Amino acid sequence: MSKEQSSQEPSDHEVKVGRRHFLKGAASSAAALAVAPTAKAQNPSAFAASYTAPTYQQLQRDTGALTPPAIERTVVRPGSDLMVQVLKDMGIEFVAANNGSSFEGLQESIINYGSPPNKMPEYITALHEESSVDMANGYGKAEGKPMAVMLHGTIGIQHAAMAIYQAYYSGTPMILIVGRDDGFIQAHTANDMAAMCRSFTKWDALPKTLPECLEALQEAYRQAVTPPTGPTVVVVDMELQKEEARELQVPPFRPAVIEGIDVATARDIAQKLLAANNPRIATGSFRTPEGCAAAVELAELVGASASTTAHQGPMGFPQRHPLCGPGADINYDYVLGLEANSPHLSLQRPTVATLTAVRDTMGIGFGGLRDNPPATGRGAPRPQEGTVLTIDAQASIPLIIAEVSRLMTPEQRRRIEERRAAHAKANHEARMAALLEAIEQKKKGWDLSPISTARIYAELWPLIADEDWCLASPSSFSSSHHMQLWDHNKPYSYLGGQGAGGMGYGLGACTGAALAARERGRIVINIQTDGDFNYAPGSIWTAVHHELPMLTVMHNNRAWHQEFMFIQYMAGVRGRGTDRGHIGTTLRDPFIDYAKLAQGYGMKAEGPIDDPTQLAAALRRGLDVVKNGEPYLIDVLTQPR
Amino acid sequence: MKHITYPIGALLAMSLAPTLYAQNGDAKAGAQVYYDYGCYGCHGYGGYGRKDLNDTGSAILVNEEVFRAFLRGRADVAPLLPVTDMPNYPANSLSDEQVRDLYAYIRSMPPNLPETGGVETFRQILEIAEQPYRND
Ligand SMILES: Cc1ncc(C[n+]2csc(CCOP(=O)(O)OP(=O)(O)O)c2C)c(N)n1
Ligand SMILES: [Mg+2]
Repeated sequence: MSKEQSSQEPSDHEVKVGRRHFLKGAASSAAALAVAPTAKAQNPSAFAASYTAPTYQQLQRDTGALTPPAIERTVVRPGSDLMVQVLKDMGIEFVAANNGSSFEGLQESIINYGSPPNKMPEYITALHEESSVDMANGYGKAEGKPMAVMLHGTIGIQHAAMAIYQAYYSGTPMILIVGRDDGFIQAHTANDMAAMCRSFTKWDALPKTLPECLEALQEAYRQAVTPPTGPTVVVVDMELQKEEARELQVPPFRPAVIEGIDVATARDIAQKLLAANNPRIATGSFRTPEGCAAAVELAELVGASASTTAHQGPMGFPQRHPLCGPGADINYDYVLGLEANSPHLSLQRPTVATLTAVRDTMGIGFGGLRDNPPATGRGAPRPQEGTVLTIDAQASIPLIIAEVSRLMTPEQRRRIEERRAAHAKANHEARMAALLEAIEQKKKGWDLSPISTARIYAELWPLIADEDWCLASPSSFSSSHHMQLWDHNKPYSYLGGQGAGGMGYGLGACTGAALAARERGRIVINIQTDGDFNYAPGSIWTAVHHELPMLTVMHNNRAWHQEFMFIQYMAGVRGRGTDRGHIGTTLRDPFIDYAKLAQGYGMKAEGPIDDPTQLAAALRRGLDVVKNGEPYLIDVLTQPR
Repeated sequence: MKHITYPIGALLAMSLAPTLYAQNGDAKAGAQVYYDYGCYGCHGYGGYGRKDLNDTGSAILVNEEVFRAFLRGRADVAPLLPVTDMPNYPANSLSDEQVRDLYAYIRSMPPNLPETGGVETFRQILEIAEQPYRND
């Protein structure tokens, strides 16, 4: 019996299980049966008038009413099983997708191949392609390594486009696997699918054979994690997914080799760090968590004070490390920049902007990715004073550490120890002074209703400080109060902004970060703006379905408030009054009930809360649920910013 | 506008607070102007926002005349890039009477600044910061 036949004629046992699941939660069996797919076909002539739409048979197949024409062949070792084996070998934990027949072979292998099946990688059900890619973005930012996404041919990529663009802008590694089925719905295939996102992906391939495809998946990983890091694409033909692999062996995975500085440069840096009376290490965002750890080791070794960007984005130097802060003396005589600017020398890995010449074959010329962006406006590059070596800092640090260790004299070691103690004391004092000052700011409007955004961050902090947490939502629209109040000590403490300022990213990114969190006993905090939420709210369901530890606190200002302010100014300077500025910029008439919406997707939720004295208790309730491995949403009515 | 109960409720409650400044306007009517003209967008529903109105000691709020002159005298040239600066309010878009009411309302806003030591959350935050660094 062929596979197609067996799926059409399930055994009694399968029918019962299927029904029970299907009926679970339905109001009545009659209601459930009314929406069950019917075997009776409708009259095909209803579709006859359309020239461009998919054929009746194709649509029937997409809606599940028909099996594809059975081709006589026996497949015992489908090509897609080998593809999944490649993903396993590379440690890909998750593949997020909204299902599409162009990758049905691969999807079937993910859920059924291996022991246990559907584990490493696990299939993550997304409700929108934008959400799948945002998930991979959140995961990649938190872990510094790729997860995979499957996209349906042509239309799936188009839905995903903005999210891919933002991941590219952020330099987040991820592997996008795009299904291609030339024989099926013509509107869903294309000769060169990757062209639709070539200008904002790092690398792509359209393998012609199964061995080429396995190689391409491996190369996609290496390319994604090698600076400039970013999304890569492999278009996988249906034929390759379904062909019989016979004796074909999966090639062993060769990890990427990422280049660092040479020994002579490392020695030179080591000598300068040791010769300086007050060396400084300026740090930015490293490639992976190992980069953060290596930077700490180096700073400790040479007794340098260090700057951090951990409160602004992922992979930063731990903010409360005793060496992190201005240090005992702010007259630094040698500053080593590690992924950060320095007046002396900095090591900075290349960004995706360097790829534009090769990848932007259509000459779109995205602003901010050109090599000659305007010097003004948001996102304009910051001037650089010292020497920059365009090379990965993380890969360079071990050699610098080795040289420092080799060259350090006992006298230097003694001075370094003293310096470390002095820095620790000064940094702690600076921290306490800054915190006291911050609190004086944050307490403004403390008891107001709607609730101040500062109060949300302030009330959360004592409740999560002892947890392993990750703030995965962009925070600028809720005024980023965590930056002054919270301690960002982990590579994933805060995952930063959208990448290219595209709204709709937050919920998906938090869901992806929560995938990583679920496996690692961590919790994700999502301070969720309402406008962003409404682009693709379906990730709420994904978070419930996959039991993700994510606390969503709505920053519900009932507006696309940023745009409201812009329009207010525009109307004002034109002398037309600001009393109509709410048109098109506010979410009122009717208000959206986010708790109900979340509950509709199956998530535990409460709110709206507008009494500030009720907030802390709600956060506590939410965190209890989240720490138990389930997501929770609290709708909070907030001040605009 | 049907669904504006929560901000207006909050605004009206505040407008009943005692005020230090003499003014002729109607603070209740001013609360409505404050909401309808979206002043809360930058100044918050209670005078705290991107730009605070409470306790700022701002010369612009010293009296109604100065305040009105400020509203009227803003630039009326739209910049090329989007901005969130204070808009301009010529008399045809905001009448003298509305300005008077608005001023009365703004001056009636009570400060909302608890004693730092009286807020348990702040005490906890400071306590956390005093703990030795751990990163496990
Ligand atoms: C995809 C996309 N569409 C539109 C915009 C323009 N835009 C910038 S900010 C913003 C408002 C966002 O609203 P919300 O997420 O609720 O944040 P708020 O400003 O209200 O705090 C919009 C629509 C955008 N940046 N991205
Ligand atoms: Mg909003």
